Amino acid sequence: MIPFGLQTEISLQCSSSNDSAELNLRPKHSRSGAQSCFPISDFPMKSNHMHRRTLLRGAGGILIGLPLLEEMVQPAAAATESLVPARAFNVFFGLGIPAPLQTEGFDGVLEPLQPLSEKLLIMRNVDQVRCDESGINAHFDGASGAFTATPPDGEAKAGGASIDQVIRKRCHPEGMPRGMVPTLIGGTFFRRSRVSRYVHSYNVDGTVAATIQERPRDLFDRVFGVIEGTADSDDARKQRLRRSVLDSVVEQYRYYAGRKSPLGSVSRGRVADHLERIREFEQRAFEMKETDANSPPMPPKSTLAHGGRADPGGEGIDMKIDDLVNEWRLMADLYALAIELDRARFGSITFLAAGERLRVTGDYRYNGKRLYAFDDARELNKSGSGGCSHEWWHRFNPEKANEQLRAHAHMKMREIAYFLGRLDRVQEANGKSILENSCVTISTESGDGRHADVKRELSGVFHAISGANGRFKTGEILDVGKEGIDVYNTMLEAYQTPERLGPHDREYSRVDGILA
Amino acid sequence: MRLKAQDGVGQMDAGLSKSLQVLYDFRGVRGNQIPDRSGKVPPLDLQIDDMEQVELRQGVLTIRGAVKIRSKGTGGRLVKAVQQAGALTIEVWVRPHNLQQAGPARIVTLSKDSGARNFTLGQEGDSVQVRLRTSKTSKNGIPAVTAKTGSLKKALTHVVYTRGRSGNVSIYLNGQLNQRQQIAGDTSGWDEQYRLALGNELSGDRPWLGDLHLVAVYNRHWRADEVATRFAHGAADGLAGLKEAAVDRRPDFFETKIAPILSNHCLECHDSASNEGGLDLSRREAALRGGESGQAIIAGAGVESALWLSVDSNEMPHDRPSLTRQQKQALKKWIDDGAVWSVDFVDPAIYRHVRQAENWVQRLTIPEYVSTVEEIFDVDVAEEAAKSLPQDQRADGFRNTAYNLNVDLKHVEAYARMAARVVDQVNVRGFARRFSKSRKLTDNNMRPLIANLGKRVLRAPLTEQEIALYRGISTTVASAGGGFDEAVGMILEAMLQSPRFLYRIENQVGDGSRWPVSDYELASRVSFIVCGSPPDEVLLKAAEGGLLSDPVQLREQVERLLKSEKARAQSKQFIVQWLNLDRLGNLSPDRKRFPAWKETLAADMRQETIDFFMHLVWEQKRPLSELLNAQFAYLTPTLAKHYGISPIGQGTHRYDLSNIPSRGGLLTQASVLTIGGDDASMVARGLFVLSDLLFSEVGDPPPGLDTTPVPTSPGKTHRAIATVRVQSESCGGCHVRFEPLAFGLECYDGIGAFQTVDEHGNQLRQDGEILFPGHAKPITYQTSAEMMDLLASSDRVKQCLTRKVSQFLLGRPLDLTDAASLRSIHEKSQQNGGTYQSLIMEIVLSDRVLTTQTEPELAP
Repeated sequence: MIPFGLQTEISLQCSSSNDSAELNLRPKHSRSGAQSCFPISDFPMKSNHMHRRTLLRGAGGILIGLPLLEEMVQPAAAATESLVPARAFNVFFGLGIPAPLQTEGFDGVLEPLQPLSEKLLIMRNVDQVRCDESGINAHFDGASGAFTATPPDGEAKAGGASIDQVIRKRCHPEGMPRGMVPTLIGGTFFRRSRVSRYVHSYNVDGTVAATIQERPRDLFDRVFGVIEGTADSDDARKQRLRRSVLDSVVEQYRYYAGRKSPLGSVSRGRVADHLERIREFEQRAFEMKETDANSPPMPPKSTLAHGGRADPGGEGIDMKIDDLVNEWRLMADLYALAIELDRARFGSITFLAAGERLRVTGDYRYNGKRLYAFDDARELNKSGSGGCSHEWWHRFNPEKANEQLRAHAHMKMREIAYFLGRLDRVQEANGKSILENSCVTISTESGDGRHADVKRELSGVFHAISGANGRFKTGEILDVGKEGIDVYNTMLEAYQTPERLGPHDREYSRVDGILA
Repeated sequence: MRLKAQDGVGQMDAGLSKSLQVLYDFRGVRGNQIPDRSGKVPPLDLQIDDMEQVELRQGVLTIRGAVKIRSKGTGGRLVKAVQQAGALTIEVWVRPHNLQQAGPARIVTLSKDSGARNFTLGQEGDSVQVRLRTSKTSKNGIPAVTAKTGSLKKALTHVVYTRGRSGNVSIYLNGQLNQRQQIAGDTSGWDEQYRLALGNELSGDRPWLGDLHLVAVYNRHWRADEVATRFAHGAADGLAGLKEAAVDRRPDFFETKIAPILSNHCLECHDSASNEGGLDLSRREAALRGGESGQAIIAGAGVESALWLSVDSNEMPHDRPSLTRQQKQALKKWIDDGAVWSVDFVDPAIYRHVRQAENWVQRLTIPEYVSTVEEIFDVDVAEEAAKSLPQDQRADGFRNTAYNLNVDLKHVEAYARMAARVVDQVNVRGFARRFSKSRKLTDNNMRPLIANLGKRVLRAPLTEQEIALYRGISTTVASAGGGFDEAVGMILEAMLQSPRFLYRIENQVGDGSRWPVSDYELASRVSFIVCGSPPDEVLLKAAEGGLLSDPVQLREQVERLLKSEKARAQSKQFIVQWLNLDRLGNLSPDRKRFPAWKETLAADMRQETIDFFMHLVWEQKRPLSELLNAQFAYLTPTLAKHYGISPIGQGTHRYDLSNIPSRGGLLTQASVLTIGGDDASMVARGLFVLSDLLFSEVGDPPPGLDTTPVPTSPGKTHRAIATVRVQSESCGGCHVRFEPLAFGLECYDGIGAFQTVDEHGNQLRQDGEILFPGHAKPITYQTSAEMMDLLASSDRVKQCLTRKVSQFLLGRPLDLTDAASLRSIHEKSQQNGGTYQSLIMEIVLSDRVLTTQTEPELAP
């Protein structure tokens, strides 16, 4: 793929300082170079910038490339009058925050979330024990249960839909508006033995909702690319013929996905997914013809290990904290940009997989201060998986300082806050930020990293949500004391979805405390 | 025909039973009412209008004079069932009173009068005639299909008329094929208002006289072997078994309802190993015998059975959650109905998981896509496919698991680009000439060309709508000034992106039961299973001729395919995926601990296992179980040195291991041993043996346990550490089941080198024991070689290999509904040598391949 023009004042920049790296939105012509750095002075960023959609309308909507359809849903009664698109994203981070540390509020590892605290509802004491799958450790179970509230159903399948996909189906039953990525899944992760360690967006049938993009360049391609050799082709006649070929292909997929299909329900769903991708392909190949000199440049090639190399037999890999943060922030920037430019409204993003195995080294800084010098393997005095940071979770002891775990967890919160901050700096037509208008659900795999007790491990799993345009309460830390399934279903009820997560024969218990 | 009662015959295949739509076995007749005993709702009961003309005795209805026996309601349900399935089988057991009656004289008919029908099976003199109305016949079902003259006798005769979706019709008499014919068209014009009648036309003017023993109608096509089996069963016991089996759902009830309850709630304490109270509920004989407190199950008397009483009172399961009301009811019903126990061993590994695998359409994997393009177009796209298609991700142990073969934008883009590249590389004109000599863009030429070409590319005939669709492309090309070559090229591009090309499309809609696959679907299944590629022209021709429904012909096709290189390539995919050999490319052991490690060694390890497997399977054609102890290896000089063996030359050579006791078989190969990681974890290795060779599983660690791996140290070996866990009260229950399985591997370090002393100077051992799942006592061994021999001779290991190969070939996880078929596949393949080839053959010939699980049609 080649870059698709956004015709906006955007350029990708890369920072090397691990508490300030970001992707800057600035005119390309003013860049000093593709690798130059523009550290920001403070963090998180302020909401100092109008949403791209707003700009488009102001300019008369003449720019190409951005979806121009406004697919709105009726906001909840408590929502503001302004219409903004429904969006739902799941934000996952690996290994979790032990429940006792959550009680420290912003004085502890949650500190980096404090600047966003008015726009988040932080939930403690959320129980995911029902997601336990006998015979499998809770890294996998808990990760699979995050946003689905169901145990896994196979190595590469969740037990049911994730919350973002239920909302997507409710808002866009016939598929997403043209030009949008139906579901965007991205992440910076390395451990990959089971899919739900890192994928956090699932179809109703429990299959992954889209292929995860694990390199910034892949995510860029997925969101902003056009199809090489079609849009740029000067052979208009051939183009027309290929269009006719694609029309016939679409017709066949429509038949096999439709009511008269000889296929069963899950197979029809698979073909329907394929059809949705073909339509996206169709638009990128034949409709998004223009490219723009101001389009974002291709992100630099990832220097980190990906694919099988990233997870050599579960033994873990060495990782410098700056390398990790730089890649993640580039991923987070691109993902946020995709949302800002209305290329994606649903999906998930992952910062480190469940049970991630990294031997992290380097100084960890926050607000200009060095909080910790990571050197997991040395401190653990182990090589291989035994020298990885996940051991700090296994060794958690509420009676002790747990300083290594705290430093790692703090770092994760800093990076989650970084992504949320990107969403918060963009103001939409209703005067609120994307973060405030979207349904952003943040969660993790466990409430205690010790594998000794499933109940303890899957109780008190950290959750936080954004306000979803006035649907949910924010600015609090709430002791929920309920199951994740009830939290999620309360959120779905606020979106008026007919579907609920989890087993149908279970009585639903609304969590009124989270509703605005 | 000799009628003889015989135990054990007459079991109706579950697929036949579920496709049964109406059944008259003339039992339970009250007055003039003959019940439909198919179990389907609403029943199509019959009414006799003149009892003077009939006699009913011992399940036989004798028709002595003209009479009307017709259904009280219309046959709408039957009509819909046949239309949905596109297939029909009529089975009758009859004895005609004379060989002169004709018309045909109606034996069974679903019709209006002598001129309008859906179907009629009747007697035409000394023959049988069937009229079936389709979109291509008259409303009277003409042309009819008539059995050979003289084939009907005045004796009890088994008559089967069966028609598949493709229109292939066969008539069998007494299990023998008598007539085969093509009746084109579909049954969309059938009238739901027609009634079903026996012994006469609805209008009363085509009477038949004779004895009716059984009349049944099914909405699926029968294979020749199924007909022969039905005939044999009926002939063996005078139909008694058939009549019982037709309505006997008890074996199915046990496997789907009771075995899961026992597995999940009882066997933890009451299997062969734990045997608490002397009660073993995992095995039929032991369970029915009872325990120390006496008989636990009294067949036919739930309320007197200790098993149900203890469960009903919540006394059992002890210290565990009680059974639900529905589970208790199921247990009581099962005992009340006779406690039919349809399996020898209730294996928790099978029955604990009650969720059924869904029937996902299978997208072609990357190797299948490459092979398909090559087979049809002789174009190699392997390199481009590897580069542009996202990798098929591993799920449940294999990369071809259908539910995980999803599609993203990159797939669509790659398919489109590769379609164009294929067409660029193929000689379009030459390719088209294989299907039509003419190069005209006229309708008369293009439609047959598209039909013939499409049948090859898309692996089955095209529908009229599909032909019209592709024809539309050629007219677009023509209207843009393009010629024949360009038009065909564009059509091929469209076909290469079609769901029928990229997916293995099959009918999955029916009534919820398993239905036979069509001949073309079977051809595709067979070819992709055996070769990982689409059917070749020979196989497609066999499908076209309806030959694949004949087991002899099918067997010959499989044998032919097994001789191909593609079959070898497919088997290589199996071994690479099962053992996840691709992970070796990512190994990066700690260089300080393993200074001799280099990446090429990983490649050598991978290749060793592949070469070993291929040689054993294809050159030696040895039983698959010998993978565990075969005494040879293919080694590079580097790997030989790593194993402590003197290299015998440059390059890869075969090494005889007869005198090297530390090596021989998969578990002694470094590719597998690296599963334990740098620390040679006994937990990881033991769990591999448990799950991938013994097909078993263990639960979570118990509460309160620190699971941090304990390092070895002077005086403390992995075995010593594991032994503490095995002997621990809290851990031992599970760890005894898998850690001792790795004791025999203690002498192999993290990268598979053999050593007798570890890095701390501790002496290492090879002895250990294996507790085979389902057995009461472990078996001990003294050396690694003995352990390999024990595994190789274990039927449990053989069963596990059967399951692994079956899962890979079926492209989905196995579930409890597969259990009975897998038992049969396993037994038959073992009888035929237990080779990979015998296993492939039995898998193909099994109902897992010959039939598909359907789901009910969507409500309008």
